[in-house]
Amino acid sequence: MSTTDPARHGDASGDRGRAARSGRSFEAPEIGGETVRPPLWRRKPLLIVGFMILTIFILLAVFGPLFVTDPRVIDTTNTYRPPSSDFWFGTDKFGRDVFARAVHAARLDISIGIVVAIAAMVVGSTIGVISGYFGGWVDEGLMRITDVVLAFPGFVLALVLVAAIGNSIPNVVVAVTVAYIPYFIRLTRAQVLAERELEYVDGAKLAGNGRWRIAFRHVLPNSMGSSVVQAALVAGWAILTVAGLAFLGVGIRPPTSEWGVMVAEGAPDIMTGQWWTALFAGGMIVLAAMAFQFIGDDLGTEEV
Amino acid sequence: MSLLEVSGLTVGVEHSPHALLRDVDFTVEAGQIMGLVGESGSGKTMSALAIMDLLPAGIERRAGTVRLDGRDLVAQDRETVDRNANDMTMIFQHPRSALNPTMRVGRQIGRALEINQDMGRAAARSRATEMLNHVGIPGADRVARAYPHQLSGGMCQRVMIAMALACRPRVLIADEPTTALDVTIQAQIFDLINDLVEETGCGVLFITHDLGAIAEMCDRVTVLYGGQVMETGDVRQVFTDSRHPYTQFLFDAVVREADPSVEEKDVNFALQGCRFGHRCPYAFDACAEFPLLREVDTGHLTSCFLHQKENALGSA
Amino acid sequence: MALLEVRDLHKSFGHGRTLTPAVRGVDLEVDRGETLGLVGESGCGKTTLGRVVVGLQEPSSGAIYFDGELLDGKMSRPEYRRRVQMVFQHPAQSLNRRMRVDTTLAEPLRLLKVAPRDEVAGRIDEVMRLVGMGPDYLKRRPGQLSGGQQQRIAIARALMPGPDLVVLDEPTSSLDQSVRGRIIALLRSIQEEQDVAYVFISHDLSTVRRIADRVAVMYLGRIVEIAPTEQVFKDPQHPYTKALLSAVPSMDLDNRGSRIILAGETPSPSDVPVGCSFQDRCPLVHERCGLEEPRLVSLGDGRKVECFAVTDPN
Repeated sequence: MSTTDPARHGDASGDRGRAARSGRSFEAPEIGGETVRPPLWRRKPLLIVGFMILTIFILLAVFGPLFVTDPRVIDTTNTYRPPSSDFWFGTDKFGRDVFARAVHAARLDISIGIVVAIAAMVVGSTIGVISGYFGGWVDEGLMRITDVVLAFPGFVLALVLVAAIGNSIPNVVVAVTVAYIPYFIRLTRAQVLAERELEYVDGAKLAGNGRWRIAFRHVLPNSMGSSVVQAALVAGWAILTVAGLAFLGVGIRPPTSEWGVMVAEGAPDIMTGQWWTALFAGGMIVLAAMAFQFIGDDLGTEEV
Repeated sequence: MSLLEVSGLTVGVEHSPHALLRDVDFTVEAGQIMGLVGESGSGKTMSALAIMDLLPAGIERRAGTVRLDGRDLVAQDRETVDRNANDMTMIFQHPRSALNPTMRVGRQIGRALEINQDMGRAAARSRATEMLNHVGIPGADRVARAYPHQLSGGMCQRVMIAMALACRPRVLIADEPTTALDVTIQAQIFDLINDLVEETGCGVLFITHDLGAIAEMCDRVTVLYGGQVMETGDVRQVFTDSRHPYTQFLFDAVVREADPSVEEKDVNFALQGCRFGHRCPYAFDACAEFPLLREVDTGHLTSCFLHQKENALGSA
Repeated sequence: MALLEVRDLHKSFGHGRTLTPAVRGVDLEVDRGETLGLVGESGCGKTTLGRVVVGLQEPSSGAIYFDGELLDGKMSRPEYRRRVQMVFQHPAQSLNRRMRVDTTLAEPLRLLKVAPRDEVAGRIDEVMRLVGMGPDYLKRRPGQLSGGQQQRIAIARALMPGPDLVVLDEPTSSLDQSVRGRIIALLRSIQEEQDVAYVFISHDLSTVRRIADRVAVMYLGRIVEIAPTEQVFKDPQHPYTKALLSAVPSMDLDNRGSRIILAGETPSPSDVPVGCSFQDRCPLVHERCGLEEPRLVSLGDGRKVECFAVTDPN
């Protein structure tokens, strides 16, 4: 039968579903009921490392602010102190405690990363499933819009949006979220296109499910696997984007404790030898982004 | 001496104590077809891949030898084995995915000839067309210029067979070569394999889950379950005088009226001793040990303590 | 009156120059409580026919009567869904892998409004018993079941609304031989208890023989022979049926190599020859086959064949 035939004929060579699509389809060898495979830390060491770093950051974000001094306090008698036991990360030109600022910034940046990732995933997947499952002109329209949006790097798009709607913290979150939504639309749509051909969709139809119910109750939950992976990556990218916008002076503004703001403020100090004002914040940006990247990469290497 | 002799082949997953294949022994004779039959997960394909040294990542060969004319193949370094591609070739269940989708099929056969037979390009091309003709493809010239997606599944399998045979192998491993094909096409492919065996005298290891196909095609048969060879022997011996409880169970399943109220248990293999031990109606205490193959009749071997016990009693 | 009557059913895919007929004028009846086997090779249109019958696809033309009533665009209504269900080929694919067994089974009851909420649990227990599975499987997801168990759940889902007809599309093809036998036996015991009719679609003739009362053989979108099961297997009439039966490998060691081997392959559905669609491969072909299309002709005792050489030897 030609490829134009959407019906699956009783043909053993037909698509074997997910196993066949994932390349060489060796089934997981199974003996005595347990799937024999090496332990997690051996299969996915990066996942473990990523989670460990992220856990530290989250603990820092949740509890850290309870134990440090107010990062906004200006103390002109203690400017530019190098790192010491009193000030672990030193102090900046206003005498603010860099460690206290970094810890408060962790709360803000990590939250923004996670919020952006989840919001972009929810909105993107919803649009993606509508586009993919219903098809037709809705799909055409949505795809052309995402094409246009995807033509810009996420950072540039976020920059334009922030310039347009203003740079309060909520606006920055919205702008960055919008910039990453198209990735989820594309991803979910591609997955939905494959899922909707599977037999359970027909089974759901026969069980009396309407089109919307099939799309959201049946197809969507089965199409989320790669979106979750993508969300982990996007959380990391969002932190970089937010910091980048702040660094350029178009994002979150000083004196807010935010890593990008801190790097921007501290950058001139490096020339004069006070490296600590920018470097610790920069290091945290790198670490946090890396943690999310590790998690996403390693989650993505196998089926989730 | 047998053409292909597999003995003590043991294969397992890295970092796991359990074996996917344990002490697998069988032989393939020149000019004969040896059937390898078993249900899914029995280790049929794994055996073929181990013989071809094509085990997937994460799966290791732990013991055993594969001898071709007495030469141990797996003990040699890869360099030497690669040059032996002329000795053994394999055809797969899904012929279309085993072919390169971006290359015309005539060219693919030609490449195999250039590499393995040191042929020039022009000679390889005409030989490729010749081979396609030989496997019963009408309009071989036209088909040689086609890409795999333009051909039917049966046609692709013929192309695979043509490619496999272009190198005049001593042993052909056919892994479920017709499972994805229709029965009338399957009959054509069976006919083709039979003709080729007669003509070239190569040995065939014929892997299938279909006992009917074994009856039609094979001279001898090896029954696998959970990576253990249950029984091996002449097709007639195994079909008319099966000795292993598992083989009997397998035959019964084809003809017997099943009891629908029997719940589908998770069909797993026993980890200790005989792989069929926990499902076997005749199991007794000895079955906690792994049974090795013992001869019960000339050329008819089974790995079951039951017969070894009976023999012991009978001779006593 | 037959439960299901299909009259001159056509179904094509694509349009314009890519128009590909999958079903080309099929007539058949299925009686209450009987099993009709639908056999043929890939691309013969048997799955498409089954999908049209359950209303998963719209017919291009032709009429379907269910219980004497003409179904004309009414096939997706709950009243019809309740009475006609389907079981699919790949058990792992045909169940939503994120949904627990009990949710999967409750869906048709709630959505098709078959039973009030307080009767759902009771009905689920009843059907689980029917398919021979204990209640401890209800909280599992499909991934925690074996292939045979998954297929039992798929059968259970189809039985939930208490249908009169179940279309079974290759329900045993992806199962191991030993499991296959039990599923067939299960289907038969369900039929005895519930008086449900089956359309059993398969390419595996030996399985069909074990369950069907009558068998229809399809080739290139048409039924070429239809007759009571034993007559088809013991005394096939159409040359294609004969070749198909002889091509099935048999366990009989004394009859090796007695196959009829057909030349060539099934022509593409988009390129069906004028006249009989089997003429290019038929050993009995003569002039008339290239000029005129044969029609199903009754031979009496419930047998019908579509072949000039059989029905009109002169």
